[in-house]
Amino acid sequence: MIDLIMRILVYGAVSGGIWALAASGFSLIFGIGRILNFAHGTFFVLSAYICFILAKDLGVNLFISYIIAILLVGALGVVVYKIMMAPVRHHEVMVIIVTLAFALLVEQILLLLFGEHGYSIPSFVSGSMEIGGVLIPKTRILAFFVSIAVIILLEYFINRTRTGKMISAVSQDSEAAMLVGMDVEKLFMITMFVSASLAGIGGLLFGQVFGASPIFAVKSLIYAFAIVILGGLGSVRGSIIASFIVGYIITTTIILLGSRWAEFVMLITIISILIFRPTGLFGVEE
Amino acid sequence: MRLKMVKDIRYLSLGILLIVSLTLPFFLPDAYVYLVGMTFLFIIMVVSWDIIVGYTGQVNLGHTVFVGIGAYTTALLQVPSRFEGTFLHFLSAIPSPPIYISIIMGGVVSAFFGFIIGVITLRLRGYYFALVTAVLPLVFIQLLYVWSDIFGGEEGFSVGLERALAVDSIGKYYIAFFTMVLSVLIMYLIVRSSIGYKFRAIRDDETLAESVGIDTVKYKVLSFVISSFFAGIAGACVVHYRITVGPSMFDIPLMLLIILSAVIGGLGTLFGPIIGGFVIYLMKNWWLKGMVGLSDVVPINDEVILYIILIVVAILAPEGIWVYSRKIIEKLPIKFLKKAKTT
Repeated sequence: MIDLIMRILVYGAVSGGIWALAASGFSLIFGIGRILNFAHGTFFVLSAYICFILAKDLGVNLFISYIIAILLVGALGVVVYKIMMAPVRHHEVMVIIVTLAFALLVEQILLLLFGEHGYSIPSFVSGSMEIGGVLIPKTRILAFFVSIAVIILLEYFINRTRTGKMISAVSQDSEAAMLVGMDVEKLFMITMFVSASLAGIGGLLFGQVFGASPIFAVKSLIYAFAIVILGGLGSVRGSIIASFIVGYIITTTIILLGSRWAEFVMLITIISILIFRPTGLFGVEE
Repeated sequence: MRLKMVKDIRYLSLGILLIVSLTLPFFLPDAYVYLVGMTFLFIIMVVSWDIIVGYTGQVNLGHTVFVGIGAYTTALLQVPSRFEGTFLHFLSAIPSPPIYISIIMGGVVSAFFGFIIGVITLRLRGYYFALVTAVLPLVFIQLLYVWSDIFGGEEGFSVGLERALAVDSIGKYYIAFFTMVLSVLIMYLIVRSSIGYKFRAIRDDETLAESVGIDTVKYKVLSFVISSFFAGIAGACVVHYRITVGPSMFDIPLMLLIILSAVIGGLGTLFGPIIGGFVIYLMKNWWLKGMVGLSDVVPINDEVILYIILIVVAILAPEGIWVYSRKIIEKLPIKFLKKAKTT
């Protein structure tokens, strides 16, 4: 029993950390542009595949392939924004349709190229260590600390740097931000880069712990949705806290009921939040 | 005058479509008759999606779930023995109703689920509806696998030949055709009525709609219930058309086809989605060289092509090709008139 609780505690924290990265990126671009980016999960999966190709097939140094994967995915985020989202940004329905179509397109191409089974991407660490009487794989411990470090960096970026403050300003009122002379379009692109890279880092950590497979391009969205709704749409800090709550819910579900119940429990979670506290923990009223 | 001409062209093309549809079975091979009949049922799905998305402006990404709920409702009503030995054993004793009643029940149960989801998510403004409906298909398919004793898992199950819509393809074709005409007609009357204007008011400006006294939540939910009802009817008809039910009939590729058809036809135009649904569904299935069915084994390249078409159309002609071409038609008479004046 103690063993089980320990495992849920540690594993939940790890998955919470990983989802915090994915969801905060989703929240960031929603907050600044009211853009619901259904292609967000694509960046999550793509970074893992890019890293896998670089490190395994091309024999690039592991550290360098991690960095390249993150930067490439960030750049792809900017390209996707420029080509697909910017032209239809004021047509809310089309933004959702285009990004969803892109996510499914990438998923199909990945299925075509790699098949549907998962790939575990190489990690810096191997083996496992004992914490509180439970054996924990070192990849999970690494994932936890990396995600915490990235979250702290993100908080610093948004609250302390000039660019971060400008992004917050645009989130609050993009027209006013434009009036005082901010280049809103450029800020959108920076945010998109940060958002996609965060998903990329999340994908890499996820890929080395659980393995990456094409279905996560769409499936990871469920978790991201649950997190941002719980945290309040558009609130980055809310999503980070909500990630750990959702991380524990997912882990408990998987350990006690099996992974096939994960989606169903997520839906129940989302619906109960919407019934009892629709604005989430830190929601901003629309 | 230009408007009248556009209307004339619309009625003319509808008339031609009607006559062609009625006479088609007399000179088309059986397999194609079957396929075109399926297309009619598909059109119901597209038009009902247009009601909630195109007319009311609420993005529903889980329409196939309501198609699926209708389908499994009628299938389980017809084959209650599926419940035997499960935790829902008591349901296996229910006598099966005639298929027309169970098809309507399919619509009713779908509408009921639509009502529940709608009441929870549509009372909130903004993006909650899109987020929740996007999650539904994944949960729905997963539940079909979890309770595979009842739902038949990946393969689904057959409802038996004797429960088909009709004995041959031609009979099925006409039943599918009249179901489509009736459903589309009802939806047309709804969107032309004062209810339809309220839907559009909500789509164009929800705050303004509320300030002129429209109960926006009520009408959004109503729109969603109507949309889900017809989705359920279409799904139930598909079951009795194909005699089988299975999860692959309601998966994400079908959602994509519905979206693509409506977007190409033009959201919120009702007639656009009919034409879009007709063209896209036939085009997609002709690529499969006459293989019949809703995305059973889709060669992956077709899907990739369809996704690309959808992205390109959505970016370049977000109003749809129907509206796009209507603008061109509207411009035509001016040119002729100008020419007539100068010469």
